[in-house]
Amino acid sequence: MSQIGVDRWVEESESRQQQYSGWTAPARRAFDKVRPGWRLALFLGLAALYPLLVSPSGVRIGITVLILAMLALGLNIVVGWAGLLDLGYVAFYGFGAYFYAIVSSDQLPAHWPTWVAIPVVVAATALLGALLSLPSRRLVGDYLAIMTLFFAQVFVEVVRNFSRLPGEPTDITGGPNGITGVDPWTVFGFSFNTFNRNFYLLLGLLGLLIVGLYRLNDSRTGRAWRALREDTLAAEHMTTPVNRLKMLAFAVGAAIAGLSGTIFAAVQVGVFPNNFMLVFLITVYAALILGGLGSIPGVVVGAIAVAFTPEILRNPGAAGWLFYIGLLTLLLVTLRKRPMVAAVVAGVVAFGYLLRAASLAIWGDTILGVPNDTFTGGFLDGWLLILGEHQDMASNYAFVLAIVGVLGVILTRGWWRVVALIPTIYLAVFVWENKLALQPSITRQLLFGGVLMVMMAVRPQGLLGTRRVEIT
Amino acid sequence: MEFFLQQTVNGLTLGSVYALIALGYTMVYGVLKFLNFAHGEVYMFGAFAGYGVLTVLGGPSALVVPVWLAITLMFVAAMTVATGIGVGLERFAYRPLRRASRLAPLISAIGASFFLQAAALLLFTANSRSYDAPTLIPIESGVTVGPIDIWAVRILVIITAVILMILLTLWVNRSRAGKAVRAVSFDTEAAAMMGVDVDRVIVITFIIGSALAGVGGVMVGLVFGRIFHLMGFIAGLKAFTAAVVGGIGSIPGAMLGGLLIGFAEAYTTSYISSTFQNLIVFGLLIVFLLVRPHGFLGRPDLAKV
Amino acid sequence: MSAAILELRGLTKTFGGLTVIRDLDMTVGTGEIVSVIGPNGAGKTTLFNMISGIYQPDSGDILFDGSNIIGSTSDQIANLGVARTFQTLRVFLNMTVRENVMAATYGATKTRMWQSVLRTPAARREEAEVRELAEEKLAFFGDRLMGYRWDQPAYSLSYANRRRLEIARAMATNPRLLMLDEPAAGMNPVETHEITELIGRLREEAGYSILVIEHDMHVVEGISDRVVALDHGVKIAEGSFESVAEDPAVIEAYLGYGAARSK
Repeated sequence: MSQIGVDRWVEESESRQQQYSGWTAPARRAFDKVRPGWRLALFLGLAALYPLLVSPSGVRIGITVLILAMLALGLNIVVGWAGLLDLGYVAFYGFGAYFYAIVSSDQLPAHWPTWVAIPVVVAATALLGALLSLPSRRLVGDYLAIMTLFFAQVFVEVVRNFSRLPGEPTDITGGPNGITGVDPWTVFGFSFNTFNRNFYLLLGLLGLLIVGLYRLNDSRTGRAWRALREDTLAAEHMTTPVNRLKMLAFAVGAAIAGLSGTIFAAVQVGVFPNNFMLVFLITVYAALILGGLGSIPGVVVGAIAVAFTPEILRNPGAAGWLFYIGLLTLLLVTLRKRPMVAAVVAGVVAFGYLLRAASLAIWGDTILGVPNDTFTGGFLDGWLLILGEHQDMASNYAFVLAIVGVLGVILTRGWWRVVALIPTIYLAVFVWENKLALQPSITRQLLFGGVLMVMMAVRPQGLLGTRRVEIT
Repeated sequence: MEFFLQQTVNGLTLGSVYALIALGYTMVYGVLKFLNFAHGEVYMFGAFAGYGVLTVLGGPSALVVPVWLAITLMFVAAMTVATGIGVGLERFAYRPLRRASRLAPLISAIGASFFLQAAALLLFTANSRSYDAPTLIPIESGVTVGPIDIWAVRILVIITAVILMILLTLWVNRSRAGKAVRAVSFDTEAAAMMGVDVDRVIVITFIIGSALAGVGGVMVGLVFGRIFHLMGFIAGLKAFTAAVVGGIGSIPGAMLGGLLIGFAEAYTTSYISSTFQNLIVFGLLIVFLLVRPHGFLGRPDLAKV
Repeated sequence: MSAAILELRGLTKTFGGLTVIRDLDMTVGTGEIVSVIGPNGAGKTTLFNMISGIYQPDSGDILFDGSNIIGSTSDQIANLGVARTFQTLRVFLNMTVRENVMAATYGATKTRMWQSVLRTPAARREEAEVRELAEEKLAFFGDRLMGYRWDQPAYSLSYANRRRLEIARAMATNPRLLMLDEPAAGMNPVETHEITELIGRLREEAGYSILVIEHDMHVVEGISDRVVALDHGVKIAEGSFESVAEDPAVIEAYLGYGAARSK
């Protein structure tokens, strides 16, 4: 029975969401049963087991993941909640790291006790954040982004060339060589000087941060930030002091970045200007966008994915897994129909055989090279062309063609898309095996840049975020 | 005094290049109200395209065609490649996001910039390349005006830039397409309602902006010799500063801004120190954004509530 | 005779070469409902924008409850007791209905960040109060914005409901003067009738003084104590609805010189 004014569809939406379908359904239903607090405990518990299962270098990677998660959560406040595009965030991280390094090493020399250093550094970074927010009173969107980007550049330049500033100040930043010999955190005589100890320190801090952020989001300040992002003008008319809240967002975000910086400096036992370049900022943004702007669990998941990726890429065997599984997932998501996916895979192999046969016929055996020692060795044999001396040049052309191919795939639909996909996928595999598999840093950069572009176009809310409605 | 004049010529040369790149930023902003972060990479690829042509034609010391033809072909190649990338960006990275939030296109642009830098690294490696301009156009073939020597390359750069800017200004002010571009920059919806094909106008804007940036890339190669995959980033930032200082959205503003930044950099490098040239340019931008965000020739933004 | 809660004296605003408001004098008495009418471009929304602090007038005074509010920021003006809705409808789309209204209580509450993070008793108490206030304001609109609706994102609401939400949100700032910018825009006759009743109730039950911009004359007739007519930034008539509706200057502004003459 329908009643005017009662939206039955919306009313039943809750129960509809419970009816998950597909193979992830049982997991999602089980997940829903667990209350948020317990979910966090579960996550922390599992994470706590991590160091027991991996080597020390694995723990070091885990530390990188946790630091990135903290940074991403801090950036989430500024970008995801308050909606302010801050491209200079990495400078707060650097500032915290450098400040801590300066007061906890032989640089001055000063070896401040941790319980003094940390609050001072965090407060100073927060203050810097508040200062940087002042331009946001007058600048919005693009302008603020540029301004903060420039600030980050200025920071790196200043830190690198401090001693050469007019007035010849003493070199407190160590110039291009940075500062080394940074003290670890020491609390009540307990020194966090091993990877394991720092991992658990970070995990604890992260847990507290997550709890704090959840509570903050559902509070007066959190609502004000979100209102600020939704519609700044309307928020101001509804008693929100927008400038003050922008400043708060910047300050809190900066404080979190500063705190992460101190741990980073302590773990790396040093700080260098190159640690805080734009590349790292992109990494933090990739984590944020991939996981889901505005969503706390999303950000953590994004950080995990983004931080582990370079490590996986460094190991050729694991990198291969990542590449092919990624490729297959992309295919499934783009085509959706399994016969089409099968057709593409078969087509690619067939195409490969043909191409190989043709190339050998034209140029003979001499063009062949030695395949990489990746896991895929066996299953690529026969149809993929691995070149010898012309590998580099051919890979370059293949790369450009592959990009053109991707654009073609975007423009086509249905079975035409299958046709476009076949040479494109072949070229992608070709470039991977012949060149990229052994160049993890380039692959990582391509990947992160690509993630940002693709996510914005295809799924702007990220993996775990919620779809937003924007006023156009 | 001669040192000053020499630096002025340097500034003029640099300024011409920055002006060309800044025009791309400003035109796209005028039409889309969006800052194309990846514009610097377009310029960088232009420079490499020019280098590619130079190599194919035998390299600076063994050209198979006359020098003037080689340089013309280099410009053409650079414009083609740059335009291709620019149009590709517009069509695939920015157009889908036209109705999305303010953040989305900016983030996509940053991603694109990053991606393009990586692609350049892949294709060209981190080694810088040299146009070896002195071999191409000998230094002696310059002119001497009073106490200063002006290299031929610099004359070429300055004159080409001036010609292009004049052509652009004429086109924008006199042609129908130019009028359409101006209409779209002023009020996109109204222009659409008056029958202007906004999508086409945007593509044309990207074509022109990218082509100019490509030319700029070749010019930098000719004047300064070295090109490398990161050159787009810093040049992009400076050209962007030029566009803002001159007044974002204003074409004469971009030209003016380019010159100013060129001079600022030339004088700073020579009179103060080269370490801080970047810092000073960035500082200038920050000051402008705070004090006069619409630059010298821009209009303060009036938004209807 | 109650004191004027809002007084405009000699208000003038120019944009570039165009004078949008010229030497305007106007008052709103406490507990009064005043409607502002006029053809498009008459300057009505600009008037609202000046009162709510978006623009500064070039000359003149805006007195709210006796004190001049020119130069104050919009949030300061809101805290003083002036709330408004927008012609183009500006609800917080991605926040829930309840959160939209709760967000408007920022200026009247004082929980600091650290108190929220630690969930102090004071913080929890204030949060509960704010929640209750929001639900109370939403209840003013009957069943439309009640119950499960509270947790729905604002973008799931129909157009008319969004307008109601915007009014509820404005009410949550505990204003004394409520400014409604075309509250009946885009509504069908039934909804229009409801809005007319609603505005009356806002004065009777909630005690607001109300300034309304409206085009729909049925609404204007139904609610107004007084009507002010503007054209090209100048006040051309003021008085009861009947007197303004018959005024030749008003007819001319809407329908042209011929219509005025034939009246």
